[in-house]
Amino acid sequence: MRTASLLIAALLAFALPAHAGDTVRTDNVEASLVAETPSVTPGSTVTVALRLKIREHWHTYWSYAGDSGEATTIDWELPAGVTAGPLQFPYPNRIEIPPLVNFGYEGTVLHLTDIKVPDSAKPGDTVSLKGDAVWLVCDEVCIPEEGVLTLNLPVSATAAPADAGTAAEFSAARAALPMASPWPASATVNGTAVTFKIAAPELAKAGLTSAVFFPTHGGYIKNAAPQLVETTGGAISITTETGRRFSTPQRAAEIKSIEGVLVTTGSDGLTHAFTFDAPVTASSGPGGEEQLSVWMALVFAFLGGLILNLMPCVFPVLSMKAIALAKDGGNPTAARVGGLAYTAGVILSFLAIAGVLIALRAGGEEVAWGFQLQSPIVVAGLALLFFAIGLNLMGVFEVGGSIQNIGSGLGRGDGATASFLTGVLAAVVAAPCTAPFMAGAVGAAISQPAIIALAIFGALGLGMAVPYLALAFSPALIRLMPRPGTWMVRMKQVLAFPMFASAAWLLWVLVIQAGPNVLALIMAAFIAAAFGLWLWGLAQRGEAGRIARALALISAVPVIAAVSMANPAPQSGAVTEAYSPARLDELLKAGKPIFVNLTAAWCVTCLVNEEVALSGQGLANAFTKGGITYLKGDWTNRDPEITRLLERYGRAGVPLYLFYAAGKTEPIVLPQLLTEGIVIAAISES
Amino acid sequence: MLKRLVFAAAVSSLCLPAIAAPAVGDAAPSFSGKDTMGETVNLSDFAGKTVVLEWSNDGCPYVKKHYGSGNMQKSQEAATAEGVVWLTIISSAEGKQGYVTPEAADKLTAERNAKPSDVILDTDQVIARAYDAKTTPHMFVIDPAGKLVYAGAIDDKPTADPKDVEGAKNLVLAALDDVKNGRPVTTPESEPYGCAVKY
Repeated sequence: MRTASLLIAALLAFALPAHAGDTVRTDNVEASLVAETPSVTPGSTVTVALRLKIREHWHTYWSYAGDSGEATTIDWELPAGVTAGPLQFPYPNRIEIPPLVNFGYEGTVLHLTDIKVPDSAKPGDTVSLKGDAVWLVCDEVCIPEEGVLTLNLPVSATAAPADAGTAAEFSAARAALPMASPWPASATVNGTAVTFKIAAPELAKAGLTSAVFFPTHGGYIKNAAPQLVETTGGAISITTETGRRFSTPQRAAEIKSIEGVLVTTGSDGLTHAFTFDAPVTASSGPGGEEQLSVWMALVFAFLGGLILNLMPCVFPVLSMKAIALAKDGGNPTAARVGGLAYTAGVILSFLAIAGVLIALRAGGEEVAWGFQLQSPIVVAGLALLFFAIGLNLMGVFEVGGSIQNIGSGLGRGDGATASFLTGVLAAVVAAPCTAPFMAGAVGAAISQPAIIALAIFGALGLGMAVPYLALAFSPALIRLMPRPGTWMVRMKQVLAFPMFASAAWLLWVLVIQAGPNVLALIMAAFIAAAFGLWLWGLAQRGEAGRIARALALISAVPVIAAVSMANPAPQSGAVTEAYSPARLDELLKAGKPIFVNLTAAWCVTCLVNEEVALSGQGLANAFTKGGITYLKGDWTNRDPEITRLLERYGRAGVPLYLFYAAGKTEPIVLPQLLTEGIVIAAISES
Repeated sequence: MLKRLVFAAAVSSLCLPAIAAPAVGDAAPSFSGKDTMGETVNLSDFAGKTVVLEWSNDGCPYVKKHYGSGNMQKSQEAATAEGVVWLTIISSAEGKQGYVTPEAADKLTAERNAKPSDVILDTDQVIARAYDAKTTPHMFVIDPAGKLVYAGAIDDKPTADPKDVEGAKNLVLAALDDVKNGRPVTTPESEPYGCAVKY
């Protein structure tokens, strides 16, 4: 048996092409030097491979070995004039030895080196290469091994081609070398999470089956942490945990970029490896106080403000204001004053909200953006406000008393005070829209020093005001507006419907916050408000007298009473288990798998996720099968314990989805936009 | 918004709790372990003293490099002479490579002429997990105030070759010198090197 295998080994050795050096056999590795071509020409460069054939279940290491281990090296001893390039490392595999991970190779690995032959080499001579290779080879135990390897290459006048077998082996080895990424990459640090994003539409389109990030150096990421991969809009993003270099803000701030290799496998079964140096961009949380990220935050806040104009809560208000401006087009000075007053109203309102928020947080309150909406009274008030604006747009009543201005309504263009108040109104009605859409960005802002937070809110307000401001300052733009006419009345009426929709949505939020009984109260308030405003409108048009006006004022009493009675109902027992830190700890101690969903009724993203991703039968089955406990934290009303959990993962608002695999104390943070597939994949991979 | 193509893949599937590495500059995680005499050793026993933790595995070539060359013993001697507490910790589980009985551990200490203050057998890896110990050797220095001031390799030559001891900068002794002189540690962190701790 033994003799037979020796014989086979000997035969194999003879079968090797002539341009391979002697094989050195250690306990765990067969090592040799192999040249790509059978001979070399003067002045040429030949690629030589250090080939390690590793014992089954054992491994050698990549240039960065991971949590333990050591990279293979070779120390060349070369004839005069012959030079060797660096030893190259193909992309590695993750070799897991829980709770650690190594980066390295199993099976056979080829490390390529370019050897330059001098012009002075003469055909007929032999170039003798000698290299002292040292490798660490491990399974459970580690053994440093070495081999002095030689390779003699004849010099010939004409180039000799590689034989087919060798050519194929070298071409495969070259394909396994990471190449510089043609796509830009970035790294975003958020708390203890880092997300690498590679804008590679070609790769994303190829239908990736796997993507793994390997850091070039230690300490940047936690090597053994799971990597969550997503392809979104032509980009690949990989989220994992930061390493020790990010342990303090000071140290984190020194990190400008993270180098690494991305290894992707497509649905075609082909694997590619790319090197990139990802600049660490907008980081919040530890180390996020760089100038750059503040500027970025300001830019994003400004853009966010611009987008707010298109929100269903705001668009009608802005439209009416713009139409009013078109009517007043003849008076550029008044338009400018109005534009500035409106801008001031918007910005000051945002600053006021930010100021309250900062003051509350400074006082130790566990609040975050959207906090206004956690009070049922505010929600009820806003619902009524939207309803009233809708009625106004319908033409039931006018604001300001003058009947001459039909068509301008709440967007009256007469005077700075009215414009200022319109700005305040726009900011107030914008709040419910900002909460779900901008919680993250705004949340990051309030964790900054007060002055920066205020600047970010100011930028948000400026962004929101800028379209109207531009209109007010540019007569050319005003002239582009369509001529006033009856279409304006129709448009106004149509715009009432988004307002009614917003009101309906807030009612629904209110019912969740304060229970079904409050619905009767608020409906009564709606009717009283409608009645009062209708009477008021009649009086405005001179169709009713003083009594109607008085009745209208009186009807405000039940409205105010109803709103002030909108108190939160006690928490009712949910179908899922309610989140509490104690329950989470208990489950973690028991080593149970847990899914945590932090949500709020006023968070549209949360609700979409719950509908699309979290209520399917497939997921229910997966939860049952995995014995997973589903903890749901409802942040619709303020809850400091949930706020703390959010902050631990760098979030200032909901949603947040965490999955703790069985026996793990650190969760996988799932993306904010979920599909059932993401959740099931995260569960089944763990 | 939801039309995006998404696939998620958690690459790793570890069956043991993930470890949260203690950050240098934070309080060193407290621990309690049994030494080779069967006595309980608590980190808190050494309050007010500088403590060095050395993860060890006698079969590991990197450990052999530092014991074979006498570098580890010299470092232990230099440290303990200054009143530093040096704890050698062996975290291999029973049945895993590097596991030693208390008697075998004492024999190793004697044979190698090692000079630690004590040898702790962390066979359930509780201490290793608390410190996120990755390699043998992996070194930690805790200052008298109980703050972790150094974590990483013993020196700056990450090889298994005993010849590399000469000319290498001993980062543990450098850290101890900084602590002794009341300076912040110049190199508070380095990438540990060696064999994996056998969890």
